[in-house]
Amino acid sequence: MKAVLTVQNITSDFVTSFWTPIFVGIFLAIVAYALWPRNQATFDEASRMPLREE
Amino acid sequence: MSQALDAKTMTIGESGLTLLFAASAFLCMVAAAKALDTAFAFHASLGAAASLAAVFMILNRYFDRPASLPPQEINGRPNYNMGPIKFAAVMSMFWGIAGFIVGLLIACQLAWPALNFDLPWTSFGRLRPLHTSAVIFAFGGNVLIATSFYVVQKTCRARLAGELAPWFVVLGYNFFIVIAGTGYLLGVTQSKEYAEPEWYADFWLTIVWVIYLLVFLMTLVKRKEPHIFVANWFYLSFIVTIAVLHLGNNPALPVSVFGSKSYIAWGGVQDAMFQWWYGHNAVGFFLTTGFLAIMYYFIPKRAERPIYSYRLSIIHFWAIIFLYIWAGPHHLHYTALPDWAQTLGMTFSIMLWMPSWGGMINGLMTLSGAWDKLRTDPVLRMLVVSVAFYGMATFEGPLMSIKVVNSLSHYTDWTIGHVHAGALGWVGFVSFGALYCLVPWLWDRKGLYSLKLVNWHFWIATLGIVLYISAMWVSGILQGLMWRAYTSLGFLEYSFIESVEAMHPFYIIRAAGGALFLIGALIMAYNLWMTVRASEAEVPSPVALQPAE
Repeated sequence: MKAVLTVQNITSDFVTSFWTPIFVGIFLAIVAYALWPRNQATFDEASRMPLREE
Repeated sequence: MSQALDAKTMTIGESGLTLLFAASAFLCMVAAAKALDTAFAFHASLGAAASLAAVFMILNRYFDRPASLPPQEINGRPNYNMGPIKFAAVMSMFWGIAGFIVGLLIACQLAWPALNFDLPWTSFGRLRPLHTSAVIFAFGGNVLIATSFYVVQKTCRARLAGELAPWFVVLGYNFFIVIAGTGYLLGVTQSKEYAEPEWYADFWLTIVWVIYLLVFLMTLVKRKEPHIFVANWFYLSFIVTIAVLHLGNNPALPVSVFGSKSYIAWGGVQDAMFQWWYGHNAVGFFLTTGFLAIMYYFIPKRAERPIYSYRLSIIHFWAIIFLYIWAGPHHLHYTALPDWAQTLGMTFSIMLWMPSWGGMINGLMTLSGAWDKLRTDPVLRMLVVSVAFYGMATFEGPLMSIKVVNSLSHYTDWTIGHVHAGALGWVGFVSFGALYCLVPWLWDRKGLYSLKLVNWHFWIATLGIVLYISAMWVSGILQGLMWRAYTSLGFLEYSFIESVEAMHPFYIIRAAGGALFLIGALIMAYNLWMTVRASEAEVPSPVALQPAE
């Protein structure tokens, strides 16, 4: 029975073995980008964008 | 040489679209003639008429316009394209009121079933999707298209990409609404919640949506501002994800290309899973990220304060993107869907609480240093209260996704109350606030006709929402408890009809709440109408604005 591929075991194996770490990694990279001290100035500038257009 | 430059020629877009619409008019006429059912014949005729109108409008516009296309910039400042935005803003108000009226009617039908009038076209089953589609897709969709076209231009400091394409998007989208809405009344439906339109309407929407995506993307591409403002990320996620959801949930095979009926490719529980993957992410990416984009532009603008934390906006955006897509199975608790998938849906729904509240905190805290404006500016108050409702609805949602809570709440009015806390309180109020800002900007008015009327709108509508959601909480929990009550001998204590009878007073209260919400919207429509008609014009800006096309 183990050889029978069901939608359940394909998706769950695939998801758990491959995508989860990659997605977590990408997300952590985004968090690092958002919190990186050097980006502070860019973000301060960006937070005022709606206020300074013509 | 100079003659050749001055000669007026059709652009590829103009000539190509004219040919395409001429061909479409012909095909629609053939389809109408060979139609297997009257609804399809009616829709094909509408398609033919709309295609001919499109050919006429494109040619007329070509003959009227000067040889050169509108410039991208005038005196070094972007020459913004506001025509399609004005149209979408007007349509959103129109569809909003239509949708609220139908909502009130079906609320009254539940309280007094005689109001079904014993006619197929006015039965609850046909009017209910008319209500949901009118408020979500027609009202909400037009607000999203209008604000996205406005915000992307302003924050990119670039004119909207394309000349005909933005008009194609707003007119094509509203034509889709007409096809969908008239279809429901005539009994055309594929019976998928929030995805009721049949295959040909879905096909048309796909074309319109791809053009919408292209207009938005190409405007981003030609931006003068190096940084892409966070609201544009939210809009982009809305446009892209809705495209994916629409394609995933609607792969249907028509019985005949000349008939309205089709069958969906998915079967059984797979179909159910696709449906609620679609359904819940329509909540997530249509009703949440789209309107969060509005929050991130209009609240800072109106409060004249920068976004509280731009970092938080980035983190909660990506957290929503990574988490939301998994939450759909919570609509299928205790069904044939595998248990692990139900638990997965529940887990991701609970995790969503964090990014949701991240957004709420960011929206509310943007008022830091400007809280006093809530006393004097009812428009800002509306925007801020919408964010509070967003916080409330996104707290209630994860709670209801927990299986044991869901066993009480599912299939009861609690769900309806929850949806309306989000729909009336969050989506409705943030849209009203955005339109109150947008209309004076678009029509170059100094301000609104009357802030006093906005205040009336705010309080009447808020009272309506409170009546609506509190009635549905009581009704829903009562319903759930009655269904699960057993006697000491193990028999069900109540028959189903007894629970229906118990709902009656709450249905009346709910209808009263809906009526108040509608009255508020009518006040708003009058106020906006008077703003455009009678309000003082803004001092003309030094830039010669392109006339509205």
